[in-house]
Amino acid sequence: MDWGNCKDILVFLEQKEGKVVNVSLEALTPARTLAGLTGGKVLALAVGTDNAAAAEKAAPLCDGVLSVEGAAFSDGCSDAMVCALEAMVNKYAPAAVLAGNTPLGRELTARLDARKGLGSVQDATALKIDNGTPVWTVPLYGGTVLNDVVVDTLPVVATVRSGAFSKPEAGEAAPVTAEAVEVPADAIKTKVVEAVKEISESVNLEEAKVIVTGGRGMGSQENFALVEELAQLLGGVVGATRPAIEEGWVSRAHQVGQSGKIVSPALYIACGVSGATQHVSGMTGSGYVVAINKDEDAPIFDVADVGIVGDVMKVLPAMIEEIRKRKAE
Amino acid sequence: MEILVCLKQVPDDSVEIHLKPGTEEVNLDGVTPVVNAFDTYALEMATRLKEAVGGSITAITVGPEKARDAVKTCLAVGANQGYVISDPTFEDADTLGRSKILAAAIRKLEADAGKPFDLIFCGREATDRASGQLGPQLAEALGTGVIVDLVDIEQTDAGICAKQETEEGYRKVESALPCVVTVNKPAYDPRYPTIKSKMAARKMAIPVLSAADLDSVEPGKPTAHVVKVFEPAKRQAGVKINEETAAESAIKAVDMMAAAKLL
Ligand SMILES: Cc1cc2nc3c(=O)[nH]c(=O)nc-3n(C[C@H](O)[C@H](O)[C@H](O)COP(=O)(O)OP(=O)(O)OC[C@H]3O[C@@H](n4cnc5c(N)ncnc54)[C@H](O)[C@@H]3O)c2cc1C
Ligand SMILES: Nc1ncnc2c1ncn2[C@@H]1O[C@H](COP(=O)(O)O)[C@@H](O)[C@H]1O
Repeated sequence: MDWGNCKDILVFLEQKEGKVVNVSLEALTPARTLAGLTGGKVLALAVGTDNAAAAEKAAPLCDGVLSVEGAAFSDGCSDAMVCALEAMVNKYAPAAVLAGNTPLGRELTARLDARKGLGSVQDATALKIDNGTPVWTVPLYGGTVLNDVVVDTLPVVATVRSGAFSKPEAGEAAPVTAEAVEVPADAIKTKVVEAVKEISESVNLEEAKVIVTGGRGMGSQENFALVEELAQLLGGVVGATRPAIEEGWVSRAHQVGQSGKIVSPALYIACGVSGATQHVSGMTGSGYVVAINKDEDAPIFDVADVGIVGDVMKVLPAMIEEIRKRKAE
Repeated sequence: MEILVCLKQVPDDSVEIHLKPGTEEVNLDGVTPVVNAFDTYALEMATRLKEAVGGSITAITVGPEKARDAVKTCLAVGANQGYVISDPTFEDADTLGRSKILAAAIRKLEADAGKPFDLIFCGREATDRASGQLGPQLAEALGTGVIVDLVDIEQTDAGICAKQETEEGYRKVESALPCVVTVNKPAYDPRYPTIKSKMAARKMAIPVLSAADLDSVEPGKPTAHVVKVFEPAKRQAGVKINEETAAESAIKAVDMMAAAKLL
């Protein structure tokens, strides 16, 4: 690949209430691979009202932090953020622009592409270098088919899947450079008038070692408590399918699957889950899968190391009791 | 309110898609083309808005002529008219290219109708490639605002107020019109057609517009290329336990988990 005069790799650091989102830091890892190819620097771009915490977090993981601060860059104000991203791309002429594959990451990269006529990949799960050319792996059809893709325009734009890359090792803190970006008034077309926190629990499915997931087969909110009980017993986190969430048994923060979280625990226990592709694509990275389903032909058994054919309301209590007994021994 | 819903026809997403064995060709034999799930949510949200404030919904897709079926489906569940934008030169347009084609089609339909669209709905993403790019890119091409990941919408004096899903809850985001929005799964499900609405949809004409019908549209060369198509390493199904009683099954499973050092 001919990089022309483009060398540096720009990584957009997404923040929530001043805290940098994990996948943005993970994106610094493929950025390092690319920088090795171009001989440039990994530059982390923080855009917000107060970037101090994000800059401190990212500085030891990259070669330089660019900090664009201002009242206009409040959470959810994507119109202002895309102006900042575009301005930094114009100023630094990077060889690649990376972001996490979050709603904001996707929106900003899509709009950057439109403004500059660029191609991009979304939700990249791997990066390899083939003869000096970056090749990205992206999922199709909910992950049953994979494509290796080369982006033909410069800078190369990509969003990366959460959990696909691990954060780089911390080194010496890189310098933080303040950058000023003026946002023209007519660039702001939408306005956040209210932000509501409904989900206060922090659910860390991505880093969980054990996940116990309940599906529609749990039948009711009371029954769903068994899933919570087993998760707690195993020191794990509760997962859920979309129907279990739509029933109101548990909050949306627990969703595993294509439109929820992509997870890879050592142990995944699926209770009353049929195994639809949109769910399975979120959990096939699990180490060991146990499934409980009364239908012996349920597709979840195709991806389970241990499949228990039976009624969750009978199997789960017995399982909890047995594990409790062994823990006590 | 004049509403446009952009939809994509995709392979039925309840079917697991695989490659033809030993090839890099995706096997779509026998897989029914359907309207992208998120576009059905978008249409339902648009239809509820139309029912609340009045107006008309146009459904539009860029694709082969066969994509007419997808538009027809929409006519039976809320859309008032529909168009297919089809041209051999559009065939390998990528998302960016399709956003330009749609922008040109929108300008053409607006000129013909003598009035602009107020609100343009897209899905959050298409279930085939899940790029989620087209809505924001269409907004850039049209020079309008964009709000992504809606789960609800209402009309206000100044335009619209959208409920945007976030990780922790939601935001209320306002925009003047026209505006592009992309829709996530709302709290409700899309409606089913009735026999009557299906019959009515069947009788409606769905015009096909080609490149020649649009005002100079240049989708541009594709901006990326695929070098390899493959399947992820498959998980092997393990053992199935189906003992006399649930307790025996549970104990056996716990034994296996313990043996795998997972407890
Ligand atoms: C665009 C799109 C995105 C989606 N994204 C997601 C996503 O991110 N995550 C997700 O989970 N889904 C998602 N879905 C929904 C997905 O297609 C499935 O509908 C969903 O995963 C099914 O959930 P389930 O297994 O809980 O329910 P069901 O499919 O209804 O399965 C329930 C299972 O429980 C079993 N069962 C019933 N009673 C008992 C009992 N007493 N004991 C034991 N077993 C019992 C049944 O045999 C059945 O197999 C998405 C769908 C679409 C269209
Ligand atoms: N060919 C198309 N014709 C019309 N609308 C489309 C087309 N492709 C995508 N869209 C719209 O853009 C949304 C996002 O698609 P994508 O960016 O491909 O994930 C879809 O949900 C549709 O609303």
